[in-house]
Amino acid sequence: MFGSDPTSAGTLLAAGVTSAAVSLWLLLPRGTQSPASMRLGTVLGLLALAAFVATGQRLGSIGEEAVFLIVSLVAVVAGAATIVTRSPVYSAIWFALALAGVAGVLLVLGAQFLGVATIVVYAGAILVMFLFVLMLAQPSGMAPYDRVSSEPLLSAVAGAVLLGLLTLSIGRLTAEPAACCNTPSRAAAMADAAPVAPAAADVAKADRMESDQVARLGAELFGRHLLAVEVAGVLLLASLVGAIAVVSRGEAAAASEGRFSR
Amino acid sequence: MMSLPMLHNALLVGAMLFSLGLVGILTRRNLIVMFLCAELMLQGVSVSLVAWSRYHGDWGGQVLVIFVLTVAACEAAVALVFVLQAFARTGRLDAAAWQTLREATLPRVMDSKLPADDTLAPSWPTLSPAGVLPPGDPQESLQREHV
Repeated sequence: MFGSDPTSAGTLLAAGVTSAAVSLWLLLPRGTQSPASMRLGTVLGLLALAAFVATGQRLGSIGEEAVFLIVSLVAVVAGAATIVTRSPVYSAIWFALALAGVAGVLLVLGAQFLGVATIVVYAGAILVMFLFVLMLAQPSGMAPYDRVSSEPLLSAVAGAVLLGLLTLSIGRLTAEPAACCNTPSRAAAMADAAPVAPAAADVAKADRMESDQVARLGAELFGRHLLAVEVAGVLLLASLVGAIAVVSRGEAAAASEGRFSR
Repeated sequence: MMSLPMLHNALLVGAMLFSLGLVGILTRRNLIVMFLCAELMLQGVSVSLVAWSRYHGDWGGQVLVIFVLTVAACEAAVALVFVLQAFARTGRLDAAAWQTLREATLPRVMDSKLPADDTLAPSWPTLSPAGVLPPGDPQESLQREHV
């Protein structure tokens, strides 16, 4: 919104980064915290979110803009709640909500397969595995190391500075120059390979609305990247065997040495 | 293909998720929460990759995100096994329980001012009594004892 005025954009970015750092520092577990400081941290976090929303650029249509804003806010707010929640189980649940937001962002971006795969693989498999391990390994009640964190101020400042630098470099993005290099871009090659060659706007619209996107992604995955798929399969098998081996040998060793056991 | 403002906004969301995950993995001391934060960083990278892939009309970014999913599944399986083994040895999920492995020049992490109890204890809802408690049958408890 404020991209035309560099001074205003810089002030907005500085305010957003500062309030994000202070908010994270107030919200991260630091032992004893008063509810007032938590409320202040929440308010500052909302201010930082508003600043970053204002940093974003306007999209073409109101509907697309609203949907993208909602799903990205869900993702970011749930991600922040993941790292500031005391209870690890609540952290995992908030992370599931963040995954839902990320899947929404991917769907808005037009990656249908990845949006669904994020829900199925991450929220359905990986997160359930995290919850199982939490149930196996969680001591009763909230552990003291969940109520303190190491160097919250330095970490919050480091994260906010990284976010500010990334936002600054993202804000300098400009459209790709038409003739940057001699080799034709893959987008142009794909557009040429299309059976009909309509105008650029029609190409963009048809590409967004295309129905066989998953099929084309699968053809790309099992065509050009077939060897990588095989290697990934070997990696999955190796991690499966390795996990079982570590569990069985570790339990045998713990039983023989009489260590702390579940 | 996608417009430049959409790419800008999607990269912004990816950067925010990555920074949040970085802060979490630096501060939190629970091993499982640290792995959750690593997954959050992976999500931020995935959003950025998909945005670039859609902007350039290239499938490479989305294919790379599929491999990120695969490697994240492997990493979570192996890492959670290690977390379980670490818990079986120390009885804690604390990363500072393994600080004997630190560099010799670094100071020891000491929890000097641990809170005695959680100050943010959950407040359970209380029901105000409505009406008079019925007197009850004095024989009832005896009858129940015999059943």
